Amino acid sequence: MKQGLKVIALGLALATPLAFAGNGTTAEHIEAATAAYKQVAKETGYQWTVTVSTIKAAQKALDSGDDQGARKLAHQAMDLVEATRTQAKLESESWKMRVPK
Amino acid sequence: MKKIIRNVAFGLLGLSVSAASVAGPAEDRSAFQKFYENRFPDTPLEDFQNGVYSILPSAREQWEAIEEFPPYELAIERGEEIYKKTFANGKSLASCFGEDGAVREQYPHWNKERGMVMTMELAINECLEANGEKPLKYKKGAMADVSAYMSYNSRGQRINVEIPSDDPRALAAYEMGKEQFYTKRGQLNFACADCHMHTAGMMYRADTTSPALGHATSWPVFRSKWQSMGTLHRRFAGCHNNIRANPYKAQGEEYRNLEYFVSYMSNGLEYNGPAARK
Repeated sequence: MKQGLKVIALGLALATPLAFAGNGTTAEHIEAATAAYKQVAKETGYQWTVTVSTIKAAQKALDSGDDQGARKLAHQAMDLVEATRTQAKLESESWKMRVPK
Repeated sequence: MKKIIRNVAFGLLGLSVSAASVAGPAEDRSAFQKFYENRFPDTPLEDFQNGVYSILPSAREQWEAIEEFPPYELAIERGEEIYKKTFANGKSLASCFGEDGAVREQYPHWNKERGMVMTMELAINECLEANGEKPLKYKKGAMADVSAYMSYNSRGQRINVEIPSDDPRALAAYEMGKEQFYTKRGQLNFACADCHMHTAGMMYRADTTSPALGHATSWPVFRSKWQSMGTLHRRFAGCHNNIRANPYKAQGEEYRNLEYFVSYMSNGLEYNGPAARK
């Protein structure tokens, strides 16, 4: 059981983006998610509307004093950025499979 | 030396294999049209210009009734006024596109001098700006009205988009449009081809998805959902929003090239815009 938890913890640690590894402030987490969003957009041209609205929601929560909620949303936004990056990587080749021959 | 020859031979073989596996635009179009012929064997090729109504008999009757008193009629009238309005310099849109603006069949086309795809809406704005007038917004309003007037006068013309073989940039633009069409985007992970090709004719919530063959024929449209007129690029952006992908800029390179691709796929079909859609 302990070993299972260790594996999960290790997995989560590896999956956590570098920007989120430290104990920065929530504002820094939101900033990191925003920067990552822009970077993926610049590198791949892929942008999800839901990421923008999640970042905005995180900022709004922070402004209203809900630090925990804001942090959770910032992490969600970062997950969305990572999913966008994965989609761009997969689609760079797999779109060709949908072309009728 | 032998090794070099062998490597060169392998290289050439590789090149010929990869060239054979990459289909050109004509082969793409043939396979594309064949796909819809097989999927909807009861729909004659010519009828795909009627969008979803070409495959949905239950909705067609209703649509034909709407077309008897078309909701885009006022847009044509407004468009005519704008088209014939004299600019400050004494000219008008007619100075660029002729007396009735029946030039739909000329767009989209590859402009070799500028190395880009030209669309009718972009040409309208360039005409306005060249004559010292303000450009129009691309998705709706006055632009959709002028486009409706010009498309109405162009009815019966056929799509005849060319990908000139003497300019590799034209093929690159076509390929970019093709990639756009088949690439999944947005959080919902959809490609244009997912809804309008591989699951065309199926229900998404309360709506049936239309076949992409014929998608370029009927613009601009009066859409019941919008309760107004809209251009093809407005629809592209709407689709991207629906799948939670940030839309591209209307008349930007991405959407112009996508228009180039979808129009080329529908070569031979008739321009029958403006039209009414759900």
